[in-house]
Amino acid sequence: MRHITEDELVLYHYGEARRRERIDEHLQSCAECAATYRAIAETLALVSEPEIPERDDRYGLEVWQRIRHDLPVQDAPWWIAWYRPAAAAAVAVLVVAAFIAGRYWPNGTNQPATPMQAADVLADASERVRLVAISDHLEQSERVLLDLVNAGGRELDVRDQQAWAADLIDSNRLYRHAAERAGDDTVASVLDELERQLLEIVHGPSTLTPAELEAVRARLDAAALLFKVRVLSDELRERELAPNPKRT
Amino acid sequence: MTASDAPAVLARARQGDSEAFRALVERHSRSAFRLAFRMTGNEQDAEDVVQESFLRAYRHLGRFEARADFGTWLYRIVANCSVELIRTRQSRQQRARMEPLEDLERTPAAGGPGPDRLAESADIQRRVEKALEDLSPLERAAFTLRHHEGRTIDEISRTLGLGTSAAKHAVFRAVRKLRIELSVIRD
Repeated sequence: MRHITEDELVLYHYGEARRRERIDEHLQSCAECAATYRAIAETLALVSEPEIPERDDRYGLEVWQRIRHDLPVQDAPWWIAWYRPAAAAAVAVLVVAAFIAGRYWPNGTNQPATPMQAADVLADASERVRLVAISDHLEQSERVLLDLVNAGGRELDVRDQQAWAADLIDSNRLYRHAAERAGDDTVASVLDELERQLLEIVHGPSTLTPAELEAVRARLDAAALLFKVRVLSDELRERELAPNPKRT
Repeated sequence: MTASDAPAVLARARQGDSEAFRALVERHSRSAFRLAFRMTGNEQDAEDVVQESFLRAYRHLGRFEARADFGTWLYRIVANCSVELIRTRQSRQQRARMEPLEDLERTPAAGGPGPDRLAESADIQRRVEKALEDLSPLERAAFTLRHHEGRTIDEISRTLGLGTSAAKHAVFRAVRKLRIELSVIRD
């Protein structure tokens, strides 16, 4: 008789298990699984809803008063759902394509000058797409690195961080190539360093002892990678918002 | 869609109209606070998350799809701001590492309160809070969304920008850790 795993029982508890009837039947006949399920349910019952401090109807106004003078500059509107790795990868492909096209696009020096040429518009748009895509990519990478660096415990399971890092490697490579082609050495250099660290994470052990985690932290500290990623991300956001001199 | 989320209000807010944005803040602050408090377990942290979330929402309003629901979009921002705050908080605590849970007495002292009395004491709450504190930021966020907010694994995955498998395993690991840490109360 195959027992029900703890993970399946957690899903069952929350009403998300597939084959719920089969689990019902199994729990009726298997004392071992029934005991495990009871233990899970009892544990979860201990984690009761916290008592949330009351906030009255004026609270929204209070929040507004606190933030109204700190409202930041709004980002330019973008229509792509940047936060999904698949979309980011697709954007990376577009960015690379735009740069390859840019290399072979007539540069306009032999053409009659116009106030705003099509090539300028395309270059401007592709540059902004590139900046937004890379800064979003850097923010996601920063989250993975922070998640790893701030992890704790005697034996740390980092499979999720590895899967997350693996999702980012392909995009990172494409952005790095695009930056190299664009002659953007600063961006290329940080992405190169980031790629190496992401690869180290992906190909490293999936369970870390505190000493191994400390070694990872030391490696990231030595490269000052988190600092570089954060600074570059901020810089790209500023460049993204800066007016294009060709348009002014 | 509520009056304050009417397309016209959203459109004005997206164009930088601060009065329109004010209507959105007034409308959604309380629900944002409730979520932030559940996620962080701390009143001041929840206040910080609410403010940061609205500032972030304002900055990124241009990326908000006009047809989408502002409340749902803000919910994701609040959840992710909470994760970031927990991460920062844990990082701070790690530097001034406090007594780990395993060093707390694992079994009641002889002659101490029995399980029934213990179950009614504030000690349970303290241990639960400590056990939650010891989860990683993502585990805590995923667990809170599943356990207190009643979100499905798919919804958690979308909210936190994780793959479904990562969201699921974050919940599993959280429950596993809680079982270990709280076993002393149940036994």
